[in-house]
Amino acid sequence: MRHIVFLTVFSSLMAGTGATAQEVRITTFKSDATFTLNGQTFTITRNQDTGATMQGEFARTSRACPPDCLQPMHAADGVVTAGELEVLAFLEQDVTDRRGLLLDTRAPEAFARGSIPGAVNVPFVTLGPENRFRDDILRALGATTAPNGTLDFTNAMSLTLFSGGAWSSDAPDAIEHLITAGYPAEKIYYYRGGIQAWIGVGLSVQFHQTPG
Amino acid sequence: MIRTTVALAVLAFVICGLIIFRPFAGDDLAARDPLGARIVPDVEVTRAVTQNLEALTRPAPVQAPRRVDVTRPDTDDTHLSDMTNNVLAELGFAGVSPVTTNSQAQRQSTSDILAGIEAATGQQSVLEQRETLEAIVIAALRAGESDETIDVIVNQAAAAGTVAVPEILVTSDGRVDTYVLLNNIVTQAQIAAGGAAPGIPQVSPDEIQGMEVHVVQQAAVEVQSRFYTVQTGDSLGAISIKFFGSIKHFETIFEANKGLLSSPDRIRVGQRLVIPQLES
Repeated sequence: MRHIVFLTVFSSLMAGTGATAQEVRITTFKSDATFTLNGQTFTITRNQDTGATMQGEFARTSRACPPDCLQPMHAADGVVTAGELEVLAFLEQDVTDRRGLLLDTRAPEAFARGSIPGAVNVPFVTLGPENRFRDDILRALGATTAPNGTLDFTNAMSLTLFSGGAWSSDAPDAIEHLITAGYPAEKIYYYRGGIQAWIGVGLSVQFHQTPG
Repeated sequence: MIRTTVALAVLAFVICGLIIFRPFAGDDLAARDPLGARIVPDVEVTRAVTQNLEALTRPAPVQAPRRVDVTRPDTDDTHLSDMTNNVLAELGFAGVSPVTTNSQAQRQSTSDILAGIEAATGQQSVLEQRETLEAIVIAALRAGESDETIDVIVNQAAAAGTVAVPEILVTSDGRVDTYVLLNNIVTQAQIAAGGAAPGIPQVSPDEIQGMEVHVVQQAAVEVQSRFYTVQTGDSLGAISIKFFGSIKHFETIFEANKGLLSSPDRIRVGQRLVIPQLES
């Protein structure tokens, strides 16, 4: 059983801004996004250090392609592509109302090193046809088994999927797997910028660590 | 206008004439072969030579591999040796400890994902128990079923789609090769008990239907190539046992025939496989 430790670090770098109003807002009229996930409240803000720059893994610009090749804007027919504001709105509305879920499709290790607050890790490979337990995942996402044995997605949750960045095929592959499995495309959203674009505009990150 | 047309017509006529009669071309050109040797025109080829068409011996029709797609059992990436190992461990063989099969690893990662989704949604999710080939075989062996009964039980489960089987057990006619399954249990049990691994049998085309040996003299060395035409009911595991004594070398056969086999379970009657010599 995985124990998730939340170490939210947002607003830890507010040094120097003092008691003045936030300088780095999400939009002119919006300083933070607050949503609840299964009773837990999350607040997302932006890094208030106006001198901050990208560091570490996501400061890299030139991952080898293949395998990390640039992805098209549209992942699949009927799948809407989202930006940061749409992801925040999705968290505030769909996720808070338990109608939707934000999926990080990267490998568990990458997810543990930091992800979007409220995201759930579903690595894209586990949605592939090779995973004989895939239907169990689809049922956990709200699909039900119809009397004839097929899956019924009428009450399935809406999903926003992302991966490392615009250079990662993980999220598009996961979307393809979902659609092949019968998931309705209109319930799927694609955050193409991924964790790199998220960090790139200083939005809060949540760390998940497995003890031991 | 008319004069122009007539002039063009004459010109066209002359050009056509030149093309047809080729007055300036060397006559002997046509009679030379590309290397320049003059062809001696003493062989007269007439239709009479081939008059008696019926007398010609017809080449035997080449039988192409059957393209009929048989329904195949579901396969997964579980290794037969891992599965056998776990069957022996479960049956209490000394010195055999269970290993994590790919199937179990997948189950574990799915269970982690479900825990994550559950934490987010608060909805209880279930990881369904699925029947495994391993469990079926263990139950059958414990009950002391005969080889024939085990064959029936396993094939019924595979046909119903309730279990997935290792790829090398799939036969050319879409069944599960329980001979290989059971043979491998015996082999691995012997090895676990300190016995020797089965040796490589001496085989000849006289004993094995579908086998061919071609001998090619290369410089001073005589190179022997072996081929095997897939028969009804063959699985890659069975072919490996036939030529190498155990399933251990199925990968060698598969690698040598990658152009023909897209995966080890896509074996078809009539396919002519190369049987490589093992590196000594």
